[in-house]
Amino acid sequence: MSSWLKSRERTQIVTHLPLGRTDYAAVYLLQRQLHEARVAGKIRDTVITVEHDPVFTIGRSGSANNILVPSEVLDAAGITVYEVERGGDITYHGPGQLVVYPIIDLRDQGRDLRRYIRNLEQGVIDLLAEYGIEGQRRPGFPGVWVGARKIASVGVYVKHWVTRHGLAFNVAVNQKHFGMIHPCGLPIEMASLNELIGTAPSLTAVAQTLLAKMEPLFGWEFVDEDPARYWRGTK
Amino acid sequence: MTTTHAVRLPDLGEVDEVTITAWLKAEGDAVTAGEDLLEVETEKTTFVVEAPTDGTLVRIVKREGDKAKQDELLAEIA
Repeated sequence: MSSWLKSRERTQIVTHLPLGRTDYAAVYLLQRQLHEARVAGKIRDTVITVEHDPVFTIGRSGSANNILVPSEVLDAAGITVYEVERGGDITYHGPGQLVVYPIIDLRDQGRDLRRYIRNLEQGVIDLLAEYGIEGQRRPGFPGVWVGARKIASVGVYVKHWVTRHGLAFNVAVNQKHFGMIHPCGLPIEMASLNELIGTAPSLTAVAQTLLAKMEPLFGWEFVDEDPARYWRGTK
Repeated sequence: MTTTHAVRLPDLGEVDEVTITAWLKAEGDAVTAGEDLLEVETEKTTFVVEAPTDGTLVRIVKREGDKAKQDELLAEIA
């Protein structure tokens, strides 16, 4: 049997839900619903792409001490803070950032947490190559880096081998917001694609390219679905 | 006669070690098979370890902040 045929046989149809700009809390609840449905085998693997209103989220290893400004400053900037169950410390989501939440069964991906993170990172590295930029890994510091600055962050939660949370990629973010925290608990600077290439592509275009890069890495073929039928009045 | 069942860190793939980040049950608590028992973290990933059997969580061996490798004893259920 040819390897072409084998790989074709393994291709999985995966639902892509393009949510557009959506509030963090609403998508958090949707992720939990989809996670439960995926664990129960009621839905197939599903990948959400979304852009959030400004939030700081603090992961299981995180601390509010990594917020460097008083709460009045957060209020004035319209930034909400959430404590969430994903791994990692504090991060920022906001306009101009592409967020990807795969709700997938890792038993179909070799039951390997490290391989999963590596594949998420590789999707971003392959995406950056399309723009002529070399993205890199740094041992011990998951995510994707361009030189000394980080352009993509990862943070994942896995229960019953099904994932939620995921990946955030800076396309054209408000750097002032990132400056209010120590991202991942570290005094690091973040990179943003628009500063590297001198223009800001649409999040939709970046999402399409990233998903196309993820397909061969994960053995997937995406099918877009209308998110409206998933909300069930929760939005 | 009481049999003690070991709770060990499952095979999580090419993962060197994890940090125990949260116990969701305390010593003395009743647990059922498949119930969330503790959370571990590696590579920015939280993984929920489930109770392997029904019983009582009699001993926690690895506590929050401790490291563990695959197959290491985390706790005992009797």
